[in-house]
Amino acid sequence: MCLFDLDFRAPSLTTLLGVEKAEHWINDYLNNASDINKVLIDLTDRIGNCGKFCVALANPGTEAIRDMSAKDRKWEMRALGRLLALKTSLLNGGGFDYLIFDTSPGLQYSSINAIVSADLILVATTFDRSDVDGTKRMLRELYDLFEKKTEVILNKVLDISSKTSKDEVQTKLKDIYQVPLLGIVPCFCDILKAQGGTIFAQEKPDHPFTRILNDMALNIDHMQ
Amino acid sequence: MERTNLASMEPLGKKPIQVLEKIRENLERLNEKMEVMIELQKHDKKDLQQLIPDAPLDVMTLLSMPDHLRKTAMTLCRMGRATAEDISEQTKRARAVESAYLNQLVIMGHLKKERVGRKAYFFVDRENTPGGH
Repeated sequence: MCLFDLDFRAPSLTTLLGVEKAEHWINDYLNNASDINKVLIDLTDRIGNCGKFCVALANPGTEAIRDMSAKDRKWEMRALGRLLALKTSLLNGGGFDYLIFDTSPGLQYSSINAIVSADLILVATTFDRSDVDGTKRMLRELYDLFEKKTEVILNKVLDISSKTSKDEVQTKLKDIYQVPLLGIVPCFCDILKAQGGTIFAQEKPDHPFTRILNDMALNIDHMQ
Repeated sequence: MERTNLASMEPLGKKPIQVLEKIRENLERLNEKMEVMIELQKHDKKDLQQLIPDAPLDVMTLLSMPDHLRKTAMTLCRMGRATAEDISEQTKRARAVESAYLNQLVIMGHLKKERVGRKAYFFVDRENTPGGH
């Protein structure tokens, strides 16, 4: 599996994954200044399930963020071509089963390029009113237009301990968004307490949160 | 009179297959142009109101396209380089329809077209588009 940080405005995976130093960034690959194999950082030894795990990090430096926000349409068109090429080079020839593009929400070029390149779009949302309105608009004005298979993950949901309340949430969500629901993630205080200092699912493999993530991963696997 | 006719037919007598191939090639090109004209009439030329030479086919351009052209353009983006027949296999629309849409996108400056023998290949010319920083 290969994880790409495509949130160029607020790169966070470097901190989250605790990568001390990267020689090359995904910015360099998109700028045609580096080969993708130089950008990928192998973190396989961090996970214990025998899978291959690599990351391509976005440069968190201020100058790099400024540079990426000043790209023009022609650059973005080439960036789309390079993202599409990853599917050929990494999925067919690089030994990866999945490429995950982590993007920022909204109508940024980098996010839409990722959507156009993707086979499946997962939208993480909450029941917060601004989130609901924004997600509905994105589904209608973006994902529908590109005819992409889209599923929703409802995050930080309060009180879904009983089956009735879970069913109610599922019905409500399908009414609102009209797309399939991949999973519901309850609000866990344990995750907030961890303060992003660790990879929670790795630290606590038996936690309900981790089990929900595993179920969602299995569902994605069965979609193929 | 008879002699003149025979003289004019002489090349056909020498290489009839090549001449027929040439005629067929020209008919195919003519057909493609007619398909474009028919499509333009169908859509009241709205799609071609703003023609920009070498207009970049970025995601915002894709978003602003009419649905029928977006589908063709998206499929070509994924495939990289393809014939109308390749595209029609993916979109499940008729080859002639895809040919018309692809030619429309060429006229709009979003795609490039290259002939290799009898086949016409369409592609997005990302590397030779001027500018881009």
